[in-house]
Amino acid sequence: MPSRRRTLLKVIILGDSGVGKTSLMNQYVNKKFSNQYKATIGADFLTKEVQFEDRLFTLQIWDTAGQERFQSLGVAFYRGADCCVLVYDVNSMKSFDNLNNWREEFLIQASPSDPENFPFVLIGNKVDVDGGNSRVVSEKKAKAWCASKGNIPYFETSAKEGTNVEEAFQCIAKNALKSGEEEELYLPDTIDVGTSNQQRSTGCEC
Amino acid sequence: MSMEASELQDLSDDADYAASQQQGSASMMRCDSGKRSSPSEHDDAELIYLKDNVAIHPTQFASERISGRLKLTKQDSVLFLSWIPYKGQTSNAKLSEKDRSLYTITAVPFTEVRSIRRHTPALGWQYVIVVLTSGLAFPPLYFYNGGVREFLAIVKQHVFLARSAEDANVFLVNDFQSPLQRTLSSLELPSSLPVASGQYPSDGGTSNDNQGRASADVGNRVSSVNQYGLRKQKSHDPTRDLSIHLLEKFSLVTKFARDTTTQLFSENNGFGSIDKRWNNQPVHSYPEKLSNIAEEKHQESPHSYLDNDPFKDEEIANNVDVPDDPLEVNKLSLVWGKPRQPPMGRKEFTAFLDSEGRVVESKALRERVFYGGIEHQLRSEVWPFLLGYYAYDSTYAEREYLRSVKQMEYATLKQQWQSISPEQAKRFTKYRERKGLIDKDVVRTDRAFEYYEGDENLNVNIMRDILLTYSFYNFDLGYCQGMSDYLSPILYVMENESESFWCFVALMERLGPNFNRDQNGMHTQLFALSKLVELLDTPLHNYFKQNDCLNYFFCFRWILIQFKREFEYEKTMQLWEVLWTHYHSEHLHLYVCVAILKRCRSKIMGEQMDFDTLLKFINELSGHIDLESTVRDAEALCICAGENGAASIPPGTPPSLPLDDIMLYPLEDDVL
Ligand SMILES: Nc1nc2c(ncn2[C@@H]2O[C@H](COP(=O)(O)OP(=O)(O)OP(=O)(O)O)[C@@H](O)[C@H]2O)c(=O)[nH]1
Ligand SMILES: [Mg+2]
Repeated sequence: MPSRRRTLLKVIILGDSGVGKTSLMNQYVNKKFSNQYKATIGADFLTKEVQFEDRLFTLQIWDTAGQERFQSLGVAFYRGADCCVLVYDVNSMKSFDNLNNWREEFLIQASPSDPENFPFVLIGNKVDVDGGNSRVVSEKKAKAWCASKGNIPYFETSAKEGTNVEEAFQCIAKNALKSGEEEELYLPDTIDVGTSNQQRSTGCEC
Repeated sequence: MSMEASELQDLSDDADYAASQQQGSASMMRCDSGKRSSPSEHDDAELIYLKDNVAIHPTQFASERISGRLKLTKQDSVLFLSWIPYKGQTSNAKLSEKDRSLYTITAVPFTEVRSIRRHTPALGWQYVIVVLTSGLAFPPLYFYNGGVREFLAIVKQHVFLARSAEDANVFLVNDFQSPLQRTLSSLELPSSLPVASGQYPSDGGTSNDNQGRASADVGNRVSSVNQYGLRKQKSHDPTRDLSIHLLEKFSLVTKFARDTTTQLFSENNGFGSIDKRWNNQPVHSYPEKLSNIAEEKHQESPHSYLDNDPFKDEEIANNVDVPDDPLEVNKLSLVWGKPRQPPMGRKEFTAFLDSEGRVVESKALRERVFYGGIEHQLRSEVWPFLLGYYAYDSTYAEREYLRSVKQMEYATLKQQWQSISPEQAKRFTKYRERKGLIDKDVVRTDRAFEYYEGDENLNVNIMRDILLTYSFYNFDLGYCQGMSDYLSPILYVMENESESFWCFVALMERLGPNFNRDQNGMHTQLFALSKLVELLDTPLHNYFKQNDCLNYFFCFRWILIQFKREFEYEKTMQLWEVLWTHYHSEHLHLYVCVAILKRCRSKIMGEQMDFDTLLKFINELSGHIDLESTVRDAEALCICAGENGAASIPPGTPPSLPLDDIMLYPLEDDVL
């Protein structure tokens, strides 16, 4: 089957308001952190060129508003996503508890062709705050959640200090690429929702 | 007041009501399958439900309404909703046949419906709002004889209807909880096809072969699409007729405008100065994509039409054939929009007041502000009038008294959360969450602006206190992102905590629905915007339709916070005071949207922007929009659109005051 070379990879960042989605995106794309980002209203995206094995891709990273009330807008933005990044703040239990909602809402609104195997990546942000002393969600707890959702890759970051941000997005890009390639081979008349769960390991080994 | 009340309750002398009585079907009835529906529909459609005397209100006046018949029909196991206005009876002379047909809903498949919002106040009329998956919503459908509950119950028998977890009055259609279920259901339901399937409806005639039986044989998917296409492309599509009619009217104006501009240009005043202003823009600071807006400005001049392409790197745009702007707003605004005056100063303002401080002619004052704005030092005195916190006919003494009473009231309200002890807060999740949200947002609001700059800034704390107090004052609405954007300039202008609070309260009376849980206020405005573009720039509308952009989400930020993020601080204040005058229209902000879109139309269509590109483009316009010419365009568009424009905006669309103020932000009830 002649494969259409994909050059655009679409990534959606989701998570509660204030967990640092905009900061993460800007840290990754512009290598900057500012205290003056405004609360996101509506949606926006940044693009970045990434290279894998001498193929160039454009990563299109969508940053959406975290406030629940704006979620109904999602439909317009989630469509065609290749990877979904879930972000929580390691200092906020609520933002962790909400991950399930974000994940489900995404699957409902984006309705990917193969929801069971759609690639998610989890980021626990703001590990720098208070030298880690105000942390309320343990790494163990986060990893357990990832395991329960089909081994979602997990990263702990500080958008402020730039810690682990590059690594996280490398993995995000790879996952998006993989999902994009699967889509190319995907035949519309063989819809099979019951296929076994592909195992994906914690961290990124792809 | 008393007149309005009688209009609300008394139907006995209403022509539509009488007519519906004559038709003998004022109440709901169910029909057996095979029963004929109206001849305009497919023969094999089964009538499921019929309700007479369901009305929409094309203007904010309760007396102006269009009554009609709501129907549910089923064909090939797809449920369709339609609403057809009655013919021939007019409740009000001001409503033309065109107004009636503008809103006709012809056979919308429920696969295109995302949710139904129900509004069943204890007093006053019940209504529902149908929101489409595209994000658009139809204007509220008022059930004069009640029966919203039955309606929903019937719908529920035929489609999967689930109550939204967010808002008990919202019912989601075909919204399955588990992704698996959803996947399965999408296999059997003819859903999820894009609404605009690439057909270009401009010539109306082509789609006729799709009509009739042939489509029914092809299967569910196809027939539902054709149904939809049919709805939009019928050769007597009322909206199309309306635009054509309007354009005839406009063409006269446009010709007049063109003559005038040529004259102006040759005299090298008015027009020339606009051109110059745009040439003076620091073009180098534009993101490359934006330079074409400046080019559009150039095209105002008949000369640059001829020597073409002042920006040589914009060839892509010129390769694509962009349909002409039917309204040529640049020229219109020179005729209709008045140039801006210097801002109103204190002396001038005082002249509007009588000896005791009453505003004698509020309209004249509003007109003055509309055309020139207010000097900054005077804003704190005039904004409270514009926002509705001060009554225009209040005296100096009354206002002073009001301020002191309101200050005490504010203190009491503030006490409510200030008295929450840490122990209590532990057990008060909702409070903690709200406070957390507000804390996070105030430190992200206008921190680059000197008034809110720096660590430990006191004004940031005041902003937090006001928002927290507001979330107690209006606990149902609570706090939502975007509110801090509105409060920031108000606090900066008022420089007083209590006064700022009450001005903010007054503003939220009108704009609160922007932040409603169901986003209904936003959906209505986006719907109205789409109607206005359809009216004022049909080619652009068609372009959006073709490119799946009809939800207008790319204008979401513009509307939610009324361009706060699009202009620099001072310009935002200038724009807001113009909008708040409600001088030509309560909805001038929507015409501002149209004006900006029209300025960019050749860029948008020329580069064939898709939804993503368009969104990015619009976001990046921030900081590059010329306020003065935009407001002038908006004024011209508003005047030209006239009653047809007003009729495109459903009643109760923010910032209009809500239609009924019982239960503004309904949360819970247990019908159904
Ligand atoms: N200490 C610290 N602060 C951070 C970090 N990331 C973000 N912040 C701060 O947290 C706040 C919220 O960050 P944003 O990036 O705006 O959050 P968001 O998730 O985009 O929020 P919404 O746009 O409201 O959905 C800001 O004040 C940031 O400065 C981090 O890694 N460490
Ligand atoms: Mg953000």
